[in-house]
Amino acid sequence: MPEQRTATLTTIFSDVLADLAFMFNDDSDEVQYSSDELWLESSVSYRGVAAGTLRLRCTRTFSVTLAANLLGVDPTDIDSDAKADDAVKEFMNIVCGQLITALHGTEHVFDLTIPEIHVLPEMPDMEDEGTGETVAITVEGQQLQLAYLAGDAPRE
Amino acid sequence: MARDILLVDDSATIRSMVKRTIQMIGLDVGDIHEARNGIEALACLEDYDIAVLLVDINMPTMNGIQLLTRMKDNARLKDIPIVIASTEGSEQRIQQLSDLGVSGYVRKPFQPEQLRDVLTPILGVLENAGTENSYTDDDLF
Repeated sequence: MPEQRTATLTTIFSDVLADLAFMFNDDSDEVQYSSDELWLESSVSYRGVAAGTLRLRCTRTFSVTLAANLLGVDPTDIDSDAKADDAVKEFMNIVCGQLITALHGTEHVFDLTIPEIHVLPEMPDMEDEGTGETVAITVEGQQLQLAYLAGDAPRE
Repeated sequence: MARDILLVDDSATIRSMVKRTIQMIGLDVGDIHEARNGIEALACLEDYDIAVLLVDINMPTMNGIQLLTRMKDNARLKDIPIVIASTEGSEQRIQQLSDLGVSGYVRKPFQPEQLRDVLTPILGVLENAGTENSYTDDDLF
């Protein structure tokens, strides 16, 4: 079941990324980021007859590329971190909505939290399984870590 | 006469995307106003003659359902068509929105054609019959 959920999450994430931002997964092991690259963590939770949290860890470069593709502009036009952050949060909101339908069907109503994003103090361990169901994928040379955590969102 | 549209979404990205989409699909609209939540939307409705609202559900401060309820309780605002644009896929929620008098629903992510198909009949009816709503829910959901 955890593997199924991870596969479902990966499929939905990739489909929304392709449909909305015209960005695609690649199988390359060659990731492109420098040691001083900023890493971000975004999460959104839902609650209803079931609860869960979706988490994404990505680089600032990925967030800027995502924002540019969503807005149909050049990455150099994404002139503030806020624009890039907003793109990631809305993207997570959409992925979460699709994931809920895939995991729990359309019968029940779920309440979603407002997506959050913050800068990580250091590059995350991409192999870290943590407490959730985690998968690392590469999108256009940028490594991302996706995780699904069943149940209520963990408290800080 | 081109009519004004109000986009209500806490995401600036989505507001920009929808604005671009509306321009791309060639709808004959006037100004496209923006609000980040229900409170800002109500303020905008005070200042402008809005023909149709495109509203997200999941927003801080005042969400889409709360905005919808407030508008339906207001004699001046209750007949303004509202289209919901949300990530939610719950049949129960969509039924709730229909019961509340929502004119249409598009699920994010949506294609430009889906937005055109929902907005065209609303704007067409407004063009042909003033502000009277003569379309049916079946046309839009």
